[in-house]
Amino acid sequence: MRARAGVCLIVAATVACGQQWQLALPGYHYEFPRDHFSHSDYQTEWWYYTGNLRAADGRRFGFELTFFREGVRLTKQQAAESDATWRPDQVYVAHLALSDLDGREFYHTERLNRAGPGLAGSSLKERRYWNGNWQARWTSLNSGEQQLQAVCERFTLRLKLRPEKPLTIHGREGVSQKGPQAGEASHYISFTRLAAEGQLEGWNGRSYSLKGLAWMDHEFFSQASGQALAGWDWFAVQLNNNEELMLYRLRRKSGERSPYSSGTFVDAAGRTRFLSASDFVLAPGTTWQSAASGARYPVEWKISIPCLGIELWERTGFRDQELFSKESVTPTYWEGAVTYEGHEQSQAVKGVGYLEMTGYAGLRNGAQR
Amino acid sequence: MTGPWLLFVRLILRPLVREPVRSSLTLFAVALGVGLVVAIDLATQAATRSFHSSLESMTGKSDLLIHATGGLDEALLERLAQLPYPFDFAPRVEDFASVDGKGEALPFLGLDLIGHRGGQGFEGTLDDSARRLDSGDPAWVGRRLGLRRGDRVRLLINDTMHVFTVAGVLKKAPGEIGEENAIVTDIGLAQKMTGKQGRLDSIDVKIPQSRTAEFWRRMLRGMLPESATVEPQGARSEQDRKMLAAFRWNLRVLSYIALVVGAFLIYNTISISVVRRRTEIGVVRALGGTRRFVGAAFLAEALTFGLAGSALGLLLGRAMAAGAVGLVSNTVQALYVSSDAAPVEFTWAVVASGVGLGVAISIVAALAPAVEASRIAPVEAMARGREEYVAAIRSGRRGVWAGVAFAAAAALTQLPAVDGQPLFAYASVMLAIFATAAVIPAAIANFARMAQGAIGKMLGVEAMLALRSLGASVGRTSILAAALTTAVAMTVSVGIMVGSFRETVRVWLDSALQADFYLRPAGGAAADRHPTLSPRLPNDLERLPEVAAVERLRAYRISYGGLPATLAGIEIGGLAGTGIRFLPGEDRKAILSKFPTGDYALVGEPFANQHSVRPGSVLRIPLGGADRSFQVLGVYYDYSTAGFIEVDRKILLKYLPDPAASSVAVYLKPGGDSRQAREEIGRISGPGVMVFSNGELRRGAIAVFDRTFSITYALEAVAIAVAIMGVAGALLATTIERRREFALLRFIGAEQPQVRRIILCEAGLLGLLANGLGLALGAALSLILIFVINKQSFGWTIQFHWPAALLLAALTAVYVATVAAGLYPARTVTRMNPMEAIHEG
Repeated sequence: MRARAGVCLIVAATVACGQQWQLALPGYHYEFPRDHFSHSDYQTEWWYYTGNLRAADGRRFGFELTFFREGVRLTKQQAAESDATWRPDQVYVAHLALSDLDGREFYHTERLNRAGPGLAGSSLKERRYWNGNWQARWTSLNSGEQQLQAVCERFTLRLKLRPEKPLTIHGREGVSQKGPQAGEASHYISFTRLAAEGQLEGWNGRSYSLKGLAWMDHEFFSQASGQALAGWDWFAVQLNNNEELMLYRLRRKSGERSPYSSGTFVDAAGRTRFLSASDFVLAPGTTWQSAASGARYPVEWKISIPCLGIELWERTGFRDQELFSKESVTPTYWEGAVTYEGHEQSQAVKGVGYLEMTGYAGLRNGAQR
Repeated sequence: MTGPWLLFVRLILRPLVREPVRSSLTLFAVALGVGLVVAIDLATQAATRSFHSSLESMTGKSDLLIHATGGLDEALLERLAQLPYPFDFAPRVEDFASVDGKGEALPFLGLDLIGHRGGQGFEGTLDDSARRLDSGDPAWVGRRLGLRRGDRVRLLINDTMHVFTVAGVLKKAPGEIGEENAIVTDIGLAQKMTGKQGRLDSIDVKIPQSRTAEFWRRMLRGMLPESATVEPQGARSEQDRKMLAAFRWNLRVLSYIALVVGAFLIYNTISISVVRRRTEIGVVRALGGTRRFVGAAFLAEALTFGLAGSALGLLLGRAMAAGAVGLVSNTVQALYVSSDAAPVEFTWAVVASGVGLGVAISIVAALAPAVEASRIAPVEAMARGREEYVAAIRSGRRGVWAGVAFAAAAALTQLPAVDGQPLFAYASVMLAIFATAAVIPAAIANFARMAQGAIGKMLGVEAMLALRSLGASVGRTSILAAALTTAVAMTVSVGIMVGSFRETVRVWLDSALQADFYLRPAGGAAADRHPTLSPRLPNDLERLPEVAAVERLRAYRISYGGLPATLAGIEIGGLAGTGIRFLPGEDRKAILSKFPTGDYALVGEPFANQHSVRPGSVLRIPLGGADRSFQVLGVYYDYSTAGFIEVDRKILLKYLPDPAASSVAVYLKPGGDSRQAREEIGRISGPGVMVFSNGELRRGAIAVFDRTFSITYALEAVAIAVAIMGVAGALLATTIERRREFALLRFIGAEQPQVRRIILCEAGLLGLLANGLGLALGAALSLILIFVINKQSFGWTIQFHWPAALLLAALTAVYVATVAAGLYPARTVTRMNPMEAIHEG
């Protein structure tokens, strides 16, 4: 479950989107590599890369690079009127964030484009999805090896990713259900353990060779989250015993936890186990208030999964990892590199990962309506 | 401190206040002169802000601009966007649209309103709805259009009408004015509406700060096709400014002439002050006042006029500028570049230059009389009539100086332009004016001596007396005559220049326009704007039974050698091409037969002049992906300012394969029914196309010509007004001074009407003299204007032509106004009591 770009609201769809989009329904037949790329029948799609990296000198970094695609159903008139190249029927947003955990600096930026004459897109033929000069290119469709490139004013990040485990399909029967209605769900694929290696250039005048672990999510759906949701808390956990966890808690506007919260446990051999809402408890701890948005985020959590004998404490050494921008076209959210420590079946474990918290900054930014 | 101040108040201010009419006339003359300079400055500044400068204020903070003649392939954008450097690219479609029913062409911009960069550039400009492309054909409009969100607006783009929905009003961002009348739409829509599918007019580039702009420019240069230009933002408006510089200089110099007229009047006023206060000056000197002290007092008088006149002039200038902007803007639009008349901006720089000029010219004008005042010896002050003697003695020396000045003026006309500006020629004009002023005393004296007998016989004793009085007070009247002569000369020279130009253009039009009908897209015209007709239209026209031939012309604005120019693709076949007239010595037949066979060009005379191009020269023009070389075959007469390069249509299509024509000429078959043909043409072309018959186009062109010179006529009128006012003031002064003389005349039997006639005759003689001298000087100046200033500024060959009717009318008006200026002094004198007058002083 990821911060959904509010692009649907930017290019306001003039018809109720519902019926015309393909819904994420149980029994979907996955086919790779096709399903690694675009599904334009579905309204929303994203490719999410996060990771914890370490430079040769030990300096720790977190990164986030996300490609969003939002389909817009145009009226017949609009479709007829606009020239095919610039027709705004697919809008691409991308987010880039770097957390310099030891330098205690967080930088994030975003970009927005329609396909235009090749400005942004996702193509199986070209084996890539891109937004300007930010892109993820699959160097091998079989092994899943990829190269990321992101260029911004402050730095250039280039990473090679190599899956250490096969892909994971979350949820049950191929769908990750988010609400009671049929189709209130997404198709959700992850690479939970990617060996990452590459360069960070020009960051405050220095360049770093980086190594570490990354995580990739790919999700596509149409009208996935119900209107009753206020936000969510999403955890990616990569433990040092070669296991991973993905957990999300959906928060209703009433404040209670949605019963459709769920998760996935991936064991060291790559086998997955679905976790339903009743299988785990996510308890917020210390909060941190953002000076920019005024939002209070619980930046420390306790994760309990009794059926697996897992208890983990999430911490972050650097709290200011909020993606806030007054002019941003997407909602403000917190997404940062975190660490985990605890035990599994009384064995001490620790790990790294990412935490995403949305819906804390209210709707002040006007992107959602 | 109190001493000099007291003297200034008593010797200078008090007399001025006692003669409110004369003082205020002088003041007003200075004010008008300064006002004119300020008004022209303000108006040209506001009116010459080209379309490009207004576009640039809309670009946000871009650093580089990529563009190409005929547009860029939008596929280029993909390649650029992938470059691994933190550039930001914002594609643009730039065109014009006019609101249905209004002629004014407005900038019509297509921007990527979804792309983050496009949106960001408009932060604070487009409101939140900016990125909502939900309504049918949304457009954001400048506030000057007076439209509101949700309104429907019909826009004529090229030759087709389109309906847009107003999605929002462009907000005025601080410090920006360009978007006031712009229309912004999303880029895809704009491409479609302007017929530029797949093409971009320009790409704005925001460059990273890490390296210099030049570094990034070179880097991008390597990525672009040869035909694309990448240059710093502002380069295009810099070119526009450069092109407009000649025009601005011309107007400015014309306005300076009005100031010179004002200077003569200051000189005259101060001279009168000095003459009339000889006694007081003598007393001051006798009491121990130094020469310098006296001189300073009169300079202070000039300074007072300069300051007060300038202050008033600023107000006047501001008011006149509002009216002048429209006139200047007309000219700029018709001759140069699509401009967007900005609000008149009253800056401190304008204030400073206005006041500075006013004060400086007043002081300079007062130097001579002030020096003369300082030379007055205490004893001398008691003697009368000596000042005429001095003037008479000096006239000999003046003649020498005048001769030298005339010679210098003539020599200056032979010097070339400085950086495209005919600075030496302007200097020559000023020298000629001063030289003429210098010979005026001698001219008056000789005129008085020689004409006396004849005038006496013809007009009676009053005229003879008037003539004598003129001759006797040469020192004073010569200044008045100089002021009036300068004004007349200015009118005459500009009148002859404009008249010659008009006649030349008329003759040229007659030969250049050979077709029966001309078609172009409706909507406002400007020299740099080339909207297109739909390509099917000329094909349909060719099929009409009455039509013998159709000629297509396609024009593009390009830049050549750092200046804007027009590149046109023309068809020279059977009937066509007959209208082109080459400069003497060029083999027309050979040129025209060779022209369509390859990469050859014909260039207009102004272009040839600007870029020192001759037949045989090679022009390198980046077109359709590469640098192309065109060999110049001939230079033809051309009276546009745009700098024309013509190549064969087929050749141009090879490089820029866009078949749409900017205008079309239609030739009928011999004996074809022209009225029926017109109906048919109108039916095929539709409401977005204007159809002109040959006669209509000629008349239209001449009307545009006349409109563009309306500002010059306005300038002349003001100069004349300044001079007449000076004449009125000075006549009043002299008559008051000579009241004893008039009283004496009354005592020896002159009737009131006779005295009146004397004064009116004096005014009339002055007017006659000034008209004669002004005509001579004006004719000389017009030669400089036509053959030096025009040639150097614009490169036109103008045939000399006397606009007799215009000159006659102007001179008559001046004469009548001068005589009328004598009415008030005449009445003042006839009303005074001879008894009192003769006992006074």
